[in-house]
Amino acid sequence: MTRIVHIPAEETLLAYAAGTLRAPEAAVVAAHLALCPESDRFVAELQALGGALIGSLPPTALAADSLGRMMARIDADGGEAGAELPMNDMADLPEPLRRYPLGPWRWLGPGTRVRSVGVPKDGDCRVLMFSIGPGRKMPQHTHDGVEMTLVLEGSYRDESGHFGPGDFEEADTATDHQPVVDSDVPCLCLVALDGQIRLSGLVGRMIQPFVRL
Amino acid sequence: MQQPDSAELGRLIEAVGLNRDRAAFARLFQHFAPRLKTYLMRAGAAPSAAEDFAQEAMLTVWRKASLFDPRRAGASTWVFTIARNLRIDALRREKLDSREPDITELPDDPLTPDAILSGADDTIRVGSALSALTDDQARLIKLSYFHEKAHAEIARELGIPLGTVKSRLRLAVIKLRSLLSETQ
Repeated sequence: MTRIVHIPAEETLLAYAAGTLRAPEAAVVAAHLALCPESDRFVAELQALGGALIGSLPPTALAADSLGRMMARIDADGGEAGAELPMNDMADLPEPLRRYPLGPWRWLGPGTRVRSVGVPKDGDCRVLMFSIGPGRKMPQHTHDGVEMTLVLEGSYRDESGHFGPGDFEEADTATDHQPVVDSDVPCLCLVALDGQIRLSGLVGRMIQPFVRL
Repeated sequence: MQQPDSAELGRLIEAVGLNRDRAAFARLFQHFAPRLKTYLMRAGAAPSAAEDFAQEAMLTVWRKASLFDPRRAGASTWVFTIARNLRIDALRREKLDSREPDITELPDDPLTPDAILSGADDTIRVGSALSALTDDQARLIKLSYFHEKAHAEIARELGIPLGTVKSRLRLAVIKLRSLLSETQ
């Protein structure tokens, strides 16, 4: 694998470690961590800091029956882990993504497909997976909030640089970019997206009302 | 009862993982559940929601104890990670947002020397790195663990622009990262 050049900002990794990212953003960061030992090591340190903070917090009194209720729950639970979701159909995905249910691929334009990734939404923020053919542009879309992108296969280029497998890009409302795929194979990427996708071209505008993403 | 140290907490988790040891689990519950409750209340949850959260986190500890590997993470770090994942996945924002967090309730000095010494190696390292930051920097980083809207609240509290809080936090985390990489 090529070297990972673009990693999340330190404060994004801190927000992930602290548990304050929204679920769709956290899922994209977690997938990046599976591919990037450098980011993963820093997050492990920040989690150790979280452990130290938890360990040193003053205790708050629990409800009177709390321990009894807890013991009754574990007895009823029998120690069985809840039924795990089955693996999805994309065997090459990083491990943290394998158990999210994937929606059907939808056509978004020539060489461009998208499918939903079953991470719990947070407001309008959700996770989508795009497959975009060589030389194609990403679909035009609005940025209503922060957007996080992780490249899984192939690569693209935009004004901030060249992004290959494992690379991570954050764009906010001030960013106006339209990445172009510059690899020989389709670029597969995972995106936590807040805004709406606007399909370009006549056909795109005609099918827009029917494409709910 | 004396506070169990990190090695003892690790042994208790292993006893749960290997033998489904209920007494060991009860001790873990008594140590962690009241602290997890504090953690969530400081993140803005109402006491009853924070208590439910502590129960859910401890149920996950019971279920996943056999996956605990003391060579990879200290006991407190492992439990924190479980609580963190639960906070992202399961806790509905409505519950978290049920109360405005009070900035004065945040811990002033959570890393007492005792807490640092009783921790695992990783805890000692992050504790000493944190103490090498300025007070303001350490406070900004600690604040980040307790509420996602911390930036706006810190800005209000300190009477400085939000952008300044963000850039100061960024500098603080970058400095923390370089301190941590020096000690590896």
